[in-house]
Amino acid sequence: MLSYLRVELLQVLRDRHYLFFTLAVPVGFYLLWSGIFDGDRPDPVTGLTSSVDIMVSMASYGALGATLMTTGVRLAAERRSGWLRQLRVTPLKPGTVIVVKTLAAMSLGLPAVVLVGLASVVFQGVRLDPAQWIAITALLWVGTLPFAALGTLIGSLVGPDAAQPLTLGAYFVLAIAGGMWLPLSVLPEFIRDVAGGLPSTRFAELGRAVAAGHAPSLTAALVLAAWTAGLGALAVAAYRRASVAT
Amino acid sequence: MDAINVEGVARSFGTVRAVEGVSLRVPAGQVVAVLGPNGAGKSTLIGMMLGLVTPDGGRVELFGRNPSQAAAEGLVGAMIQQGDLVPNLTVREVVGFVGGLYPRPMPLDEVLELAGLTDLAGRRAGRLSGGQAQRVRFAMAVAGAPEVLVLDEPTAALDVEARRAFWAAIRRYAAGGRTVLFATHHLDEADENADRVVVVARGRIVADATPAEIKQRAGGRTVRFTLGGRPAAGLERLPGVTAVEVTGDVATLRTADPDTVVAALYGAGLTVRDLEITTPALEDAFLSLTSADL
Repeated sequence: MLSYLRVELLQVLRDRHYLFFTLAVPVGFYLLWSGIFDGDRPDPVTGLTSSVDIMVSMASYGALGATLMTTGVRLAAERRSGWLRQLRVTPLKPGTVIVVKTLAAMSLGLPAVVLVGLASVVFQGVRLDPAQWIAITALLWVGTLPFAALGTLIGSLVGPDAAQPLTLGAYFVLAIAGGMWLPLSVLPEFIRDVAGGLPSTRFAELGRAVAAGHAPSLTAALVLAAWTAGLGALAVAAYRRASVAT
Repeated sequence: MDAINVEGVARSFGTVRAVEGVSLRVPAGQVVAVLGPNGAGKSTLIGMMLGLVTPDGGRVELFGRNPSQAAAEGLVGAMIQQGDLVPNLTVREVVGFVGGLYPRPMPLDEVLELAGLTDLAGRRAGRLSGGQAQRVRFAMAVAGAPEVLVLDEPTAALDVEARRAFWAAIRRYAAGGRTVLFATHHLDEADENADRVVVVARGRIVADATPAEIKQRAGGRTVRFTLGGRPAAGLERLPGVTAVEVTGDVATLRTADPDTVVAALYGAGLTVRDLEITTPALEDAFLSLTSADL
């Protein structure tokens, strides 16, 4: 199980696309936005200064992207290439495959969270308690579960050619409507109406709450749990259908 | 206990009956070729042996276990068609990983040496030629030192030289008492490398014998010589001769037993010149077996 986790992580960490889109882009955007919206005035709604608010947004954005991009497209490609069939002939258990893939996808979001956090400390002088950093990191790890499920669902249902645009589409819709690129307060009303029900909004809210010094709301936890349960059930069913003997 | 026991398996895809009622027992230690043209049902049959394809009927056992259980216990290694590699891992990493999944793997260096990959160990799997990638697939199949090795068209991407090296490696592996079953449509490969040839056509087994017997069944061998102006009359009465054909000055005798025919020729005091005994290529046997209306 550990050796499988190791090769899963190695494969992604050696992929330049992963490094660029999930590390360079969020860190770059953080430096850009936090430089433009420099402000020590706390946001009236969240109570966060923009340098902290954008830090949470970009860390969430990076983690969301890493999780989605390392599940859907890769799973679709491995189904096509026959690698998963090859593994089924070995003693590796089919259940282990999906558990490890989920763990790997969640963990591959962590580098973005850590790097954006570091950038905020080094370049914007953001200061939080160690306990807050730890809590943000842990929540942005666990909170990626619904996205890992969504990626698995996409990768189980469609081929690699369709998985790429579908994943990207889901990524950008979730990121924008979840208030990761721009604060929800400046987004059109129809987006704000649905944003509260989206997992990405609630995912970012986990980090914002902790950064503001309080626990995330029960609503956020429930929304994320519901998405995890719903997408998780669909993903497991789709993965089973896609991976059982033909 | 048989290494492979297939009992009356059948499988259709839509209206296409890929495999119809195939039974096959392979004792441990045997090297078996499953020979058949493309579309004969070889891959479906192999998929069912490996638990990758579910039979509509019948059952498959490997050492008395169902295929998934046999895989879970590390008894099975396989080279399956269109198995692409993991591009971002090195050859050593991917082969070592697969071997490490098995309870008693072969030492990694030994696997790489057997597959001829020692010099490529550090290369990324995504940067290999077709033939090199095929050697990695072979290395993955044997890395866990499985008791049963199943190979679906294993030499598809290889040139002549690489093919020879590949079969030498397979023979080394099988010499340890392991069971090897491979599918091929290369007749010479079945002839040279298998103890037993199972010919499959249209989803059924149409012949199951040693390579020599398969050839025999296609009409035996021919004894050919120059008549040197002498009449051909009486040749058909020689013992063992089943047919005589005379073309110009050359007589061709068909027989299942060329030794008897040749002895009879000399025994009759005939001066036989340019004597030639030929065995039809397995290809002819194969064509006559697979094209027959059944």
